[in-house]
Parts: sequence; structure tokens; C-alpha cells
Amino acid sequence: MSSIIIGQYVPANSVVHRLDPRAKIVMIFCFVVFVFFANNTLSYAWLTVFAVASALLTQIPLRFIAKGLSPVWFLIIFTFILHLFVTNEGTVLVELFGFQIYSGALIQGVAISLRFFLLILFTSLLTLTTTPIEITDAIETLLNPLKKIKFPVHELALMMSISLRFIPTLMQETEKISKAQASRGVDFRTGPLKDRIQAVVPLLVPLFVSAFKRAEELAMAMEARGYQGGEGRTRLRELVIVKRDWLAMLAFALVIAGLFFFRY
Amino acid sequence: MKKYQTIDLTYSAFFICLMAIGSNITFWIPFLAIPIGGVSVPVSLQTFISILAGIILGKRLAAFSIFGYLLLGIAGVPVFAQMQSGIFVLFGYTGGFLLSFIVTAYLAGLIIEIKKPFTKRSIFLASLSGTLVNYLIGVTYMYIAMNTWMGLEVSYYASWVSMIPFLIKDLGLSLFITFALYSVIQRLSLLQKKHI
Repeated sequence: MSSIIIGQYVPANSVVHRLDPRAKIVMIFCFVVFVFFANNTLSYAWLTVFAVASALLTQIPLRFIAKGLSPVWFLIIFTFILHLFVTNEGTVLVELFGFQIYSGALIQGVAISLRFFLLILFTSLLTLTTTPIEITDAIETLLNPLKKIKFPVHELALMMSISLRFIPTLMQETEKISKAQASRGVDFRTGPLKDRIQAVVPLLVPLFVSAFKRAEELAMAMEARGYQGGEGRTRLRELVIVKRDWLAMLAFALVIAGLFFFRY
Repeated sequence: MKKYQTIDLTYSAFFICLMAIGSNITFWIPFLAIPIGGVSVPVSLQTFISILAGIILGKRLAAFSIFGYLLLGIAGVPVFAQMQSGIFVLFGYTGGFLLSFIVTAYLAGLIIEIKKPFTKRSIFLASLSGTLVNYLIGVTYMYIAMNTWMGLEVSYYASWVSMIPFLIKDLGLSLFITFALYSVIQRLSLLQKKHI
């Protein structure tokens, strides 16, 4: 349980860790868009080299990166196999149990799975090298222009920070409640379906009560300390863009330019 | 536009936490998997919690809260089902279901606002339409995702057929729980009107 609470962040002191979280978010969103422009072997190879190089730059042990990718291996392999049997372009390579596997299918299967792999590898670098708090701060500053259209950016960031703080607490609470109810004889494991679903109710009611009680106490405590919204607030952690971030973004722009160069 | 009070913000923050727990409820109740047509479908309470958010927080705040939940998941906190996180979850087959929780919460809040006073009937309507909209957007998104960036050709009909067991499960579950918790929800919504 404790491993999930920390999330995926792996502490280290690499270049990627020290980059400004806003720069990282912008680059990753651009990468997500531009991956779809790759259309031949060279452009895919170029992006793969770039993504793997960035992963190596983070100095995170490979097993952590692999662990982050583990829930999606299934998706990648499934997509690949589905493509093998669905697409019928090119020449027939092998016949398997009455299915014909075409060369076009093989190529497309590899391309789509590789695209997935790249997307997932690169986006997981953000969460591997940046703490959720940093990302929340970065989202707040990146969304700042939306304040012009009266979108409550500060409130959103505050809400996310509060829930970040209380998710582990409420998870422990859930565990405690389920044990307490089990010791009173609530049976979550056996019995007909109806009874099992009914057993969720004695879990949910105390959970809601506890959550809402905490919410009220927290609001009271915040107001007692003079909290009054985003206007004129200063922050503990200021995000500053330095030369390193500009260099990283320049390098990224060159990679994207390279992608368009290799495309045809 | 009315400014949010502190209590609005703390309530919606705790709804984010409840969403995170509801998505992974089988972690604490591991044997709560429902057999439908021979397939064992793990339960998640996401649809129910987002409907409840709509009922208790009201349409605007509820949609805002679920939006915060999605952003938190994108930021890498493992709040999605099966403790997943990251932007690619939204690009996967089931990303549309996550996105549609915003609409589900908004719709549930809207129905409760229109259908005053607060009765069993309005709760029934809110959960029913919430779940249906959840699947309408979710399955359509799945269909679009498969046929565009996943590069698979699957018919719209086939994507619906594959999701029917889940639809039955979620529909049954959210209706059942909203009714089982009817008196609790009623009192909560009264309590909330006093504060917010």
C-alpha cells in the first residue's frame, strides 16, 4: 500500500529531474501530438532514439521504468496481435491455424505498438522525475491564462493539493473501517451477490461521514487562519525558468524538426 | 459567477479522494467481483461516486471536482482504476469513461436541481441518466479511439456489445447503492444546503 501512496516518483539528481516541471509538461504534450506524425522507419527510429536517450538521462534504474510500464505491456502486445490478424495488406507470410498473416499486418502491428510504447515511455518520464506537488504547481501556472475567462485556477490547484494530502489518510481509513466492520461480522467475501453488494453500505457510510467531517474541519481551520482565496497570495515554492530549461526546449524543438526532416 | 467558499473547495477535494478510493474499492474488498455471463467483472464505484458528487455538490462544483480528479491522475497520482495514472490512460480504450465522469456528475446535479423536491424518483433519474451518459460517451470514445489512433477497425455495434456486461453491472450497482443509501444521501444533501 505504501508504495502506491508515494506514486511513481523516483528521487535522483539528474538533468531531467532538475528541469522546470512546466517545461517538462509542455514538451510531453508536444511529443504526444508529434508522435502521430512519424510515418516511416527512419522517423520512428529517430523518435525511439530520442525517447530512450531521455530515459537514460534520468538516471533512473531501468527496473523502475519497466515497473511503470508493466500495466500497459498487455495493451501493447494485445494491439500487436490484433493487428496481425485484422489487417490484410501486402503478401502472405505464414499461415497459422487457417489465419493468414500478411506482411503489411506485421509492419502496421509493429508501428502501432511502437507508437504506444513511445507514448507511454515518454509520458511516464514526467511522473518518474517530478513529484505530484511540483506537477500541481506547474499546472496552476500553466493554466493561469484561463483566469482571464474567470476559470478558478487557484481553487483547482488548492483542491488538488488538499486531495493529495488526504488520499493516503482516507485510504488508511477505508482499511480500518473494513477491518472494523469485518470484526463486527460483516462478510465481504461469501454469500449471494446481493448480500455482498449490501456489505458495501456499512463500509461507505462511515467513510462518507469521516470524509465530510474532515472537509468541514479543514474549511473551519483554513478560515480561522485567514484563508481567502487566490488574490494576492504568495507561494512557498516559486517556479523559475532558467537557461537549462530553454536549452532543453531548444533541443526538443530540434528533435521535432528532425522528425519532419526524416518523415518523407 | 459566484466565488467558491472554502467549504466548497474542501468538500470537492474530499470527493476527489472518494473517487480515488471508489476506483480501487476491490483493493479493500477483493472478492467483490460480479459474475456476468461467465466473466468476472471487478467492481468500481466511480460512476456511483460521480453521481453522488453531482447530487451533493451541485452540478458546477461536482464537474469541477471530477475535472480536478482527472488532472490529479494525469499528474501521476495513482487515482485511476487499477492504481493507474498518467496522461496515456486518457488515450487508452477506456479514456472516454474517465472523461465522461465530468458530464455524469454535471448531469446528476442538473437533474436533482430541476426535479425538486428531493425524492426517490429524482435520485433514480439522476443515477440512471448519469450511468447511461457515462456509457454513451465512454463507448463512443472507445470506438473513435480504436478506429483512429489505435488503427483498429471495429464496428460501433461491436464496441457496444463488448461493453454490455459492464453497463449492466454499473447500472445495477449505482441504482442499488443510491437506493440503499437513500436516507443517507437525503440527509447529506440537507446538511450541504445549510453550509454551501
